[in-house]
Amino acid sequence: MDWLPFLWLIFSCMNLTLLGLNFYEFLGFSDLEADYLNPYELSSRINYVIVPEYLLHGALCILFLMTGHWIMFLLSLPTAYYNLKQYLSNKHLVDVTEVFKVVSTEKKARLIKLGFYVIFFGLVITRLALSVVSAVFADDEDIVAWSTIY
Amino acid sequence: MGTENPNPRNYPLRPAATPFASQQPSTPFLSSGPVVGSEAPVFRPGPPAASNFQAPPFSGGPLVGTEAPAFRVPTSNRSSEVVRPPPPPSSYGPPTSGFQSFPNPPMPSAGQVPPPHISITGRPVIAQPTRPPPVPASIFSQPQPPLVSMGSPPQSIKTGQPNPNIPPPADQHFSAPMPSSQPSSPPTGTSYASGRGIYPGYANMQPNSVSQAPPMQPASFQLQQGGGYAPRAPPTSLLAQQRGYVPVPPVSTPSGIYSGNQFQQHGIAPPVAAQQGLAEDFSSLSLGSIPGSFDAGLDITALPRPLDGDVKPKSSADMYQMNCNSRFLRLTTSGIPNSQSLASRWHLPIGAVVCPLAETPPGEEVPIVNFATGIIRCRRCRTYVNPYVTFTDNGRKWRCNICSLLNDVPSDYFAQVDASGRRVDLDQRPELINGSVEFIAPAEYMVRPPMPPLYFFLIDVSISAVKSGMLEVMSQTIRSCLDNLPGSTRTQIGFITYDSTIHFYNMKSSLPQPQMMVVSDLDDIFVPLPDDLLVNLSESRSVVEAFLDSLPSMFQENMNVESAFGPALKAAFMVMSQLGGKLLIFQNTLPSLGAGHLKLRGDDIRVYGTDKEHILRLPEDPFYKQMAADFTKYQIAINVYAFSDKYTDIASLGTLAKYTGGQVYYYPNFQASIHKEKLKHELSRDLTRETAWEAVMRIRCGKGVRFTSYHGNFMLRSTDLLALPAVDCDKAYAAQLSLEETLLTTQTVYFQVALLYTSSSGERRIRVHTAAAPVVNDLGEMYRLADTGAIISLFSRLAIEKTLSSKLEEARNGIQHRIVKALREYRNLYAVQHRLSGRMIYPESLKFLPLYGLALCKSLPLRGGYSDVQLDERSAAAYTMMALPVKSLLKLLYPNLVRVDEYLVKTAEFDTKTRLPLTVESLDTRGLYIFDDGFRFVVWFGKALSPDITKNLVGEDFATDFSKVSLSQRDNYVSRKIMEILNQYRKSDPSYFQLCHLVRQGDQPREGFFLLTSLVEDQTGGANGYADWMLLLYRQVQQNA
Repeated sequence: MDWLPFLWLIFSCMNLTLLGLNFYEFLGFSDLEADYLNPYELSSRINYVIVPEYLLHGALCILFLMTGHWIMFLLSLPTAYYNLKQYLSNKHLVDVTEVFKVVSTEKKARLIKLGFYVIFFGLVITRLALSVVSAVFADDEDIVAWSTIY
Repeated sequence: MGTENPNPRNYPLRPAATPFASQQPSTPFLSSGPVVGSEAPVFRPGPPAASNFQAPPFSGGPLVGTEAPAFRVPTSNRSSEVVRPPPPPSSYGPPTSGFQSFPNPPMPSAGQVPPPHISITGRPVIAQPTRPPPVPASIFSQPQPPLVSMGSPPQSIKTGQPNPNIPPPADQHFSAPMPSSQPSSPPTGTSYASGRGIYPGYANMQPNSVSQAPPMQPASFQLQQGGGYAPRAPPTSLLAQQRGYVPVPPVSTPSGIYSGNQFQQHGIAPPVAAQQGLAEDFSSLSLGSIPGSFDAGLDITALPRPLDGDVKPKSSADMYQMNCNSRFLRLTTSGIPNSQSLASRWHLPIGAVVCPLAETPPGEEVPIVNFATGIIRCRRCRTYVNPYVTFTDNGRKWRCNICSLLNDVPSDYFAQVDASGRRVDLDQRPELINGSVEFIAPAEYMVRPPMPPLYFFLIDVSISAVKSGMLEVMSQTIRSCLDNLPGSTRTQIGFITYDSTIHFYNMKSSLPQPQMMVVSDLDDIFVPLPDDLLVNLSESRSVVEAFLDSLPSMFQENMNVESAFGPALKAAFMVMSQLGGKLLIFQNTLPSLGAGHLKLRGDDIRVYGTDKEHILRLPEDPFYKQMAADFTKYQIAINVYAFSDKYTDIASLGTLAKYTGGQVYYYPNFQASIHKEKLKHELSRDLTRETAWEAVMRIRCGKGVRFTSYHGNFMLRSTDLLALPAVDCDKAYAAQLSLEETLLTTQTVYFQVALLYTSSSGERRIRVHTAAAPVVNDLGEMYRLADTGAIISLFSRLAIEKTLSSKLEEARNGIQHRIVKALREYRNLYAVQHRLSGRMIYPESLKFLPLYGLALCKSLPLRGGYSDVQLDERSAAAYTMMALPVKSLLKLLYPNLVRVDEYLVKTAEFDTKTRLPLTVESLDTRGLYIFDDGFRFVVWFGKALSPDITKNLVGEDFATDFSKVSLSQRDNYVSRKIMEILNQYRKSDPSYFQLCHLVRQGDQPREGFFLLTSLVEDQTGGANGYADWMLLLYRQVQQNA
């Protein structure tokens, strides 16, 4: 059977998770600004999800590469590079002592990432739909082919 | 902080800080009631007053001012009060006319000369630059037009009214209702009342404090107040005292009406006062006319120098007399820009430096107010009631000055309002007359019962601690301070020592000797005893003393070189986290074991000048930041005492102090024989100074402006709430403002600093400082109201923070650029009308800014590069400067240099005022000089100094190496005299102990190290001298001008 729709389904699930994680982080920073959250809680919450988020994005990236989706791979590369840079310079974790100095830039970064994932999600969904459709059509052709034989 | 100890004995003194309130009972006002009309005759000077002015020495002019009612004759009694005179007599004319009348007397000091003529328009006209020294155009220009319309704060304030004339704009809405600044969750378990029962000191206090609850209790109040007041002044002289409150004439009075009066005062006052009082449009410095040939034109002696030390900004204090004292709150400019475009043209920081617990001189203590039924606060913005709120609706409502919301007055706070909007009981309400006041907080301001003062010691007992003698000096000092720890019977104390293992001490009071328990498992720290590690000092006093006596000998033979600092820190955290308190760390070596061990990353010369340079100044291990955050969370402040002669990574260790509101004390190469006194003094000050525990601070300000960033040693708990586990008088915090709206519609912006803390006596208190600042629409006005001290304080903090993310050079350039931009903008204001070529102009208020900027670039945290300052010293100085109050900072940047040999041989009184410029040229080879920057003394012996003096000071071995000689009292006149001088200096600035270094002229490298690099006006090690620096600034100002 055609595995492509399943692959795209996995992609879209991963993408949705990334979208959710980013939104969660963004919400955390907004709450901090509005004083609904203290820096201690914020840092423990965000630091808990940040590495999984990076790993997930990395996995998505590699999966695209492995399955030969070059365009999607290239599109997801900038974010992966940003994540890697943050990680390598040890800036990925929220520093509880200085969080108020970075809160606006962090929010901005999350917002950009959110936008990126939304667009990306749109692409993935489209490809999923296309692949489903093409799979269905392929099945139809099979059926047609079978029917012609019989 | 002396006011904190709620000790009944202190009580009578307290009202002294509230002149308005306190004399009231002894004056007829209380009964005479609020009728304005009845007051007026009292305040208004009668015609006879004018006679005081018949002979102003230099009133040769055609003077409009002469007939002015003399509101401010220095020695007169009632008439000296500034009240608004009757409608200005025609002779007052335009605001500036007062000046015309009195041609300035020659003002010799600082080489400044008044201009020969004055322009009527208020625009400066520069005198012909006939002589090279600066020719300040001392012109009193039209003062602040917006203020005139604002009503007349000064006069109403001085009459003790809550300024009914400032109607807060009705359309103002405070858009951001802030959540309560204080932990307002209900007390856990223990109610306030039971808390009182637990802490006897607190219970005693209650009935004695100025009880606000009964609105009318004049009798007792009167009695107490009167008693306290008597020694200060005769009770009748209300006005005379009020004059004392406003000692200096307004620098720039808001209303032109005053100008004549003001000037008269100057005429009578000595020239110095006159000079200060004049609001100059700008000062200038002649630099020659052709770029490139400056040297001929620049007169070095004419450069402005802050030889009087820190001059407190007077301008705002005179406009808003109910503002808190400038020792608590200083704004970088008292003129708040009215628009974002104006703010962006002001290239200096806009902000404030707050020292909430600054030491007050005796007689000016902050009054304590106890509302029995809840503290009066604005419903919406949570502002505390303050002198600037207005009462309306016959006293039933009050309008918040910050968000202009109309609040109800609680029934037991109600008082009638007279025709002028003044409450009849104003005199009994210190919070309505004083900019600074302390409220006793009820139970809703506590999340737990107030904590007792708690001191915990974490002591390194490795070989270097023993060998250097640190252990012995420290134990002796702590032992001698046990009697003076704040908190009397409530104080808790505990100790942990560590080398490669961690030693806990059971101090249970029933034990004859402390029990030592050793934990050697560093990976999984546990506390061997649930309690008794932290004990009540008064109960376990004998055990604690026995411990301190035996501590040095206990580790006498210790050969351990390791230091399990991180695990020990964790252990201390476990012991302390129940209560919070203060943790004092004595660290001698680089932490080498367990969590948080540090590498000898050292001071690598190759890293300097690269992008990685700043990493050296950051904590190496995130462990330290994380621990600091946890400590703050549990209300623990950390003071780090570091002693090593080798690299100890102060950058990492200091992080602990930085985020917990603590302090770093660094004694490089500690030797008990040399540094004993210093450690002793500083440790005992740390232990015995009045401390505010588990504090939080918030600065509120009016609509349209917002504090956006905070700088200092603390941790932010929310966007604008500073968590300060321990605060004391030696800590200051800076904050920067930004405008939220493009255009401010108000005419005044109010600031309110609120510090909620637990006093050592176990009382929850809120210290509130309120200040008002005018909104101005003119850049020149902002410059006129600028405060160099506050600007430099903010600059230093910003620059130090910048060194944590970029190179030293960039931090220095940052300062330079901002000064240049500010001066260029200022020049553009005036360059059009005046021929200013070849002269550098700057506002009078900022005349020391370039020099302080230069000094800042040469200060330890920013100086030079790799070889100039050791990394540890740099970091320690940076942590210290981040917490210094303005006055100490300015002294550190531009230290005192005085010549003393003449005083030593003569019998004349020593005059600390004769400070010398900090340049080698001030040093005479025949002289003996003392250099004092607040942290150390350097005594400089000239080559040709009379040998007698040297002999008398250092004894027979005066020919030997001075590094081995210390100055001590000897049995002769000269030695006694110099010790007297040094002690006088030490007493005037007790925050740190100035260790005395002796230096002989030409004794390199010692001389260079101690003194020459600190002479900021000289060219040292690639950095500019003062004259070159001014030329450099001048040239850059000229570019693109």
